[in-house]
Amino acid sequence: MSKSLLIISRQAPWSGPSAREALDIALAGGAFDLPVGMLFLDDGVFQLSGAQQPASLQQKDLSANLQALPMFGVEALYVSQRSLEERGLHQSSSSLAVELLNDTALTALIDRYDQVITL
Amino acid sequence: MKFAIALFSPPHAPSSRRALRFAEAAVAGGHQIVRLFFYQDGVHSASSNVVCAQDELDLPGEWREFVQAQHLDGVVCIAAALRRGVLNAEEAQRYTRSAANLNLPWELSGLGQLHEATQLADRLVCFGGP
Amino acid sequence: MATLHVLSHSPFTDSRLGSCLRILGSQDALLLCGDAVYALQAGSVQRQALELMPESTALFALDEDVQARGLDLPARLTQVDYCGFVALSCQYDKVNTWL
Repeated sequence: MSKSLLIISRQAPWSGPSAREALDIALAGGAFDLPVGMLFLDDGVFQLSGAQQPASLQQKDLSANLQALPMFGVEALYVSQRSLEERGLHQSSSSLAVELLNDTALTALIDRYDQVITL
Repeated sequence: MKFAIALFSPPHAPSSRRALRFAEAAVAGGHQIVRLFFYQDGVHSASSNVVCAQDELDLPGEWREFVQAQHLDGVVCIAAALRRGVLNAEEAQRYTRSAANLNLPWELSGLGQLHEATQLADRLVCFGGP
Repeated sequence: MATLHVLSHSPFTDSRLGSCLRILGSQDALLLCGDAVYALQAGSVQRQALELMPESTALFALDEDVQARGLDLPARLTQVDYCGFVALSCQYDKVNTWL
């Protein structure tokens, strides 16, 4: 059986290539039919905002790649409830269907996966 | 035990040295390294154009010697490398750039190699940040 | 499935330690290296947070980083060298480095 991998993405979308390169790991895993999950934590939750206009920074639209996650078979998508609340965000404003998890559930989530990459 | 080691930081970051010392200790302890994978700014450690002062640690040089001596599989993410100007001769020619700075023992390849390594290994250990 | 969490950012300028402590499992362990060992600084809020972790949570630091910074260490801390770091990576089910 394939080993599962959880990508924890905790970088804001426009602070450099980190958020995109974390997403690329998840998409590549999905393309190889591997069990990959993705958790948005800390500033990573800003990636989910539906009101972004990356063109003003001459950046490509990250949300298009985020939308590709389920198409690549990456359907295990999670967000930290605390990270959202700290930043005054709500799950309803997310551009992606993500499961809301509290801190206790996050501990259990990390426990469940075989490998973790926190970017 | 089988390790996959991934490096995300540039050669001047302390975590880059930490990764090398960890890899050396793993080999010295009789463990196997199934692959080294350089991603994000980690690709700079595979550049043959890094010049260090004589009395400074030459991490790209140490990595190269270590990978050659241990016959390790050293893979550099091609997308991350191109974005940061780390090119082998083939890529330099493809994109009509004047110089190549990635040579053996390093190999340019895709993120699939990271996933394959994590499947083959018992442990994935990542190094990055400061 | 216990996790070895590895931190290397200074907790005084970065939120990784705080985030990590909130989602740390009771059987998980912390390995501090690089500037993250400044969390051991006596009298700091971070040191206090580490002292308050459940006893089942093991606390490690890379010896070279502790020595380089000349810190006064808490009793519950175990120092490891690279050989010890490798051993911890084997002992715990996975390694989560907060890059």
